[in-house]
Amino acid sequence: MDWSMMKEYLPFLVPLVIAQLALAVTALIHVLRHPHYRFGNKVMWALMVMFIQFVGPILYFTIGRGEE
Amino acid sequence: MRGYLVFLKKELFEYTKTYKLLIMVLVFVIFGITNPLVAKLTPVILKSFMTDGIIITLPEPTAYDAWMQFFKNATQMGIIVMVILFSGVLSSELSKGTLINLLTKGLSRKSVILSKYTCMVLVWTVSIALCFGLTYGYTVYLFPKEDTPNLLFSVSCLWLFGLFLLAVLLFSAALVKSSYGCLFITVIVMAACIIMNIIPSIHRYNPISLATDNMGLLVGSIEASSLYDAILVSSLFSMIFVSLSAMIFQKKQL
Amino acid sequence: MGILEIKQLYKCFGHHKVLKGLDMDVPEHSIFGFVGKNGAGKTTTMKIILGLLKADSGSVTVCGEEVRYGETKTNRNIGFLPDVPEFYGYMNPLEYLKLCGEITGLTKSRIKTRSEELLELVGLKDANKKIGGFSRGMKQRLGIAQALLNEPKLLICDEPTSALDPIGRKEILDILLAAKGKTTIVFSTHILSDVERICDRIAVLHDGKLALCGTISENKKRHRHNGFAIEFENEKDALLFENTEELKHPSINLSRDGNAVTVLLTDSNMDGHFILDVLSQMRIVPLRFEVMEPTLESMFMEVVQ
Repeated sequence: MDWSMMKEYLPFLVPLVIAQLALAVTALIHVLRHPHYRFGNKVMWALMVMFIQFVGPILYFTIGRGEE
Repeated sequence: MRGYLVFLKKELFEYTKTYKLLIMVLVFVIFGITNPLVAKLTPVILKSFMTDGIIITLPEPTAYDAWMQFFKNATQMGIIVMVILFSGVLSSELSKGTLINLLTKGLSRKSVILSKYTCMVLVWTVSIALCFGLTYGYTVYLFPKEDTPNLLFSVSCLWLFGLFLLAVLLFSAALVKSSYGCLFITVIVMAACIIMNIIPSIHRYNPISLATDNMGLLVGSIEASSLYDAILVSSLFSMIFVSLSAMIFQKKQL
Repeated sequence: MGILEIKQLYKCFGHHKVLKGLDMDVPEHSIFGFVGKNGAGKTTTMKIILGLLKADSGSVTVCGEEVRYGETKTNRNIGFLPDVPEFYGYMNPLEYLKLCGEITGLTKSRIKTRSEELLELVGLKDANKKIGGFSRGMKQRLGIAQALLNEPKLLICDEPTSALDPIGRKEILDILLAAKGKTTIVFSTHILSDVERICDRIAVLHDGKLALCGTISENKKRHRHNGFAIEFENEKDALLFENTEELKHPSINLSRDGNAVTVLLTDSNMDGHFILDVLSQMRIVPLRFEVMEPTLESMFMEVVQ
């Protein structure tokens, strides 16, 4: 992909990256502040939400997080 | 009425505080943005995989491809995330006993059921509206001057299907104790709907048609009027399921 | 007329009959200790009073209104503290009290003043963190605050002290005692010393019925065992007394410890005069002659056996 193409898609990429980051950061904060999980441990979930884009945080919030 | 409003406020507060609202909104926002993008980029990506020897002619992507992505993602991933997030709608409160306290303060059980349903519907509406708005905006940007008929009607059908699904979910939650049981019943009901859809005479009345016929509406292979019966059935059954939930919950030993 | 009246209450779970015709009457402005063994049906009774459980038969009236299962109308007069109160972990105490107040229909300003008063009373004034991070004792105290929020005529506490350490227990009892003037308190427990400390009335639930009911002093009078503690000048007199022929009777129970002899008369026809007669016949003047007061524990043991 060259620069002109990148420019064309910037209106997509900027909000997309922001949304993805927001999701990852929220999940990461939650992982670190609520150390109870239905399965797995802190390190595993922290790596998951940081490095597996989109799917990681979703998995964490839907099936990974434990009770308050 | 007062109990209903107060509890609705508490539900909304809960969804924000437990990040459920944020997750739903972000998931649907991300889908909203990626739908048209994926439609536009699929041929480009495929082309980059092609070696010199092979030539495949790819059709130019259109707005239809963007909406195909929209309906695919919303009905699959979107709805799955929603159902899992909401599966603990009653069980989380009942197993911990947080509700008992409020019930002993004069909150009626009917208000609990109604406000929980309202809140889920609100979250679903906001999410699907955001997703639709974003996909719409970007589709117009990427594929200008392309007309998609029946679009609003098609999305409204999907929205109504969500209402039906949430009613089923609430009913299952009132029926059983655990969130897994609630998920299980909801999945069974959906599977039953999908299986019944094979029979052509039922398809006309089946609520799931509202989530499967969306592209057909856009390309014109399905008449809008053919879904009127399914709309009627879905609305009716949503109301029945919500009322049943309230009745079951009223008599539940806590 | 009592603030809470229970008539002929029956409830069974499967084949297990928990309540077999319970009758109870709680007068206004009393602290009512509701005692029973674990599993005697204390929590079941309370849940029926709150309309959370369905009774098989019988009636419950709160402030003259009959309680119906599944409805919550009568609960506006009741404040309830569950044995392990659970709150929404993501709220702070003020937010939770606001929610409770709004449900009961208090005005905004009323909620604010009441919340501040009550948090002060239960010592959570400076606890501004989320309830999720509260200790058990703190949750119990917040439980009392939410129960008292709408100034209920009847406060029902389900084992408020059993999960707490001695300091936490003392604090809770003090708070209950402080609330006494404004409301009627029914609290279940199996810790008799708690009842002794703050209750003026006691009811013992045993085998699905009340085995004992009334004010504590009344009951003590009624259950005054024909028990006497007699102290002699020397061990010789004590031995002499212990071995008297007149006292060798199956309904008389003697036990000696040094100079002191304890006499228990289980025959209701006999009383202190009989022993005094024996003493005067033997021409012994004891150092001390005392009618023994029954303890709550002995009363409890007697009725549940």
